[in-house]
Amino acid sequence: MKEEVLFEISSLSRNPLKVKGFRFGREGTTPSCVIVGPMMGTAIDQLWIASQLVRFLRQHELANAAFVKGEILVIPTVNPYSFNMGKNFWPLDNTDIDVMFPGYDKGETTQRIASRLFEKTNNYDYAILLEARKDHVECIPYVEVLESGMSYIEDARAFGLDFIHVKEETPNDTVSLTYNWNVWNAKAFSLISGKKGILHKHEANKVFDAIVRFLVKKELIDFSTFEGSHGNLVMPNDVEAIKSSAAGLFDTLANIGDSVVHGQPLARIFNSLDGTLIQTIISPCDGIISCRYDYSLIFQNAIAYRIVKVESAQNNL
Amino acid sequence: MIEEVFNVNLPVNETLTLRRNRFSPEDISTSTKRISIVTGIHGDEIEGQYVCYLLAKWLNANQHCIKGIVDIYPSMNPMGIDSITRGFPFYDVDLNRNFPGNTADFLPAQVANAIVDTVRGSDFAIDIHASNIFLRELPQVRISRSTADELIPLAEKLDIEFIWVHDAVTVLESTFAHAMNSLGTKTLVVEMGVGMRITKEYGQSLTRGILNLLAHVGIIERAVLPMTKTTVSNLHSEVFFVNASKSGIFIPILEHNVTVLKGEKLGEIIDPLSGRIEETLISPCNGLLFTIREYPVVYEGSLLARILEDPKEDTAL
Ligand SMILES: [Zn+2]
Repeated sequence: MKEEVLFEISSLSRNPLKVKGFRFGREGTTPSCVIVGPMMGTAIDQLWIASQLVRFLRQHELANAAFVKGEILVIPTVNPYSFNMGKNFWPLDNTDIDVMFPGYDKGETTQRIASRLFEKTNNYDYAILLEARKDHVECIPYVEVLESGMSYIEDARAFGLDFIHVKEETPNDTVSLTYNWNVWNAKAFSLISGKKGILHKHEANKVFDAIVRFLVKKELIDFSTFEGSHGNLVMPNDVEAIKSSAAGLFDTLANIGDSVVHGQPLARIFNSLDGTLIQTIISPCDGIISCRYDYSLIFQNAIAYRIVKVESAQNNL
Repeated sequence: MIEEVFNVNLPVNETLTLRRNRFSPEDISTSTKRISIVTGIHGDEIEGQYVCYLLAKWLNANQHCIKGIVDIYPSMNPMGIDSITRGFPFYDVDLNRNFPGNTADFLPAQVANAIVDTVRGSDFAIDIHASNIFLRELPQVRISRSTADELIPLAEKLDIEFIWVHDAVTVLESTFAHAMNSLGTKTLVVEMGVGMRITKEYGQSLTRGILNLLAHVGIIERAVLPMTKTTVSNLHSEVFFVNASKSGIFIPILEHNVTVLKGEKLGEIIDPLSGRIEETLISPCNGLLFTIREYPVVYEGSLLARILEDPKEDTAL
């Protein structure tokens, strides 16, 4: 293992922002894979996954020099500043680094960070980004592939996670890291999991296992793991978004990963002043809860749950 | 007439409401022209509030002049305005990156969708932004190159200092202006002043410009005022950006809105701890200093100034 400072940004009042990379195997060999941790400073699960991965790879490489067969670069995070303040985005101007790619080295601070990160990560065969969802939800781990990456869905199956979501691209996606990796011919995946702000070890460890499985199947490491799931392909229309019709205190009755049936109560909403039950949210379909609103106060018309519908997921197998 | 165009219940005994003030003549037909004046999409940009006030005040006092429909929408991100938050509170997202919005998405996207729905069908729209809290801007209309032919003649009627024609990045496709322009509403974006402040003379001057535009397109009956400013567009000149290459405290030397010469000193980045000058900023061209940094703390990359280069003389060749 080689620990490197990939780049740094100086600060008036703080320590310089140092972005560290941990390199395994031999630089420039194939196959190669880069794994980038969270850009959002509240994505703790993702930081855990990335750091555990460094620990795992280091221990095995120490025991067996031939353990890594290609090259693996892990960058646990590019945004320590925000982590240290409990902020989502870049502390000074609240910009999201993941809308700055491919970056511009003569531009704004976050564009420079994006540009330097991109320069260090755009020449890999496989590229994995660890992400939390940006809205207030908790979700079961899944692989996200952009529509432009449809040709390597089979590769996405190597993670062995239950769901592979195909994301319809919006103009905003063109400035994301995964989109730009795709443009540069890496096979790029987002692994999305957990809930912002706290460590969910159970879900996080599933993602960790998935990455190890991927590295094994793509012959990047010499290791054995269990077979994972075949990976249900989930197209945008296969997900049912269930909205609240009332606002108030949100009492959830169902968890992510639960199989639910049509007509099953999922949550109750109570009037936040007089305690009246104002709505029981009912599942409109059979399926698996992939995503749940994660805050105990809810707005009217908020998305309370997303359910992957059973019948459509089967059609995509 | 003050109307509510969107309502959503919040968890604790409150409703989020978007409002407009509609001024219209007694007889309305299908040929009646309609303009929407929109502001407050970014909650920390207050300059547009004053323009809405002046415009509504004028229209109240001159009802007999109104031949078309003028809709004034002062605060499209009410909780943002109330909390000095640029983005949409709780979600931490930029509302102006979520157009045209969607009813099956999180609240900011639902709000964006409601704004588009209510403005839809207007012949014209003006979206007034202040700069953010970091920069002070000379009043300017920003137009993407693809819509320049259509929009420049309209923008010139605003009697504004500067029309900036820019090459659109895909990410701008998710702005209000893009959404409305693609629905056939000719939409101009005005940027002026600085975040969290009101610059009275800019507000007064833009209000006069808007009244002038309204007279030109037949929405109000009023003598068209003589132009007081020479509107310049950058079609024949470049805009130069000056970014910090060191972090520190930026001390400008020049006032905003002055002509600068190539090589002239714009300001310094200083280090209060060591008492040293870290960087001296120099103008890269002759031209008009139309953007200057207002907030002193800078990182490497922070934008300090923008200069509109003097028009090239041989543009006809
Ligand atoms: Zn704005």
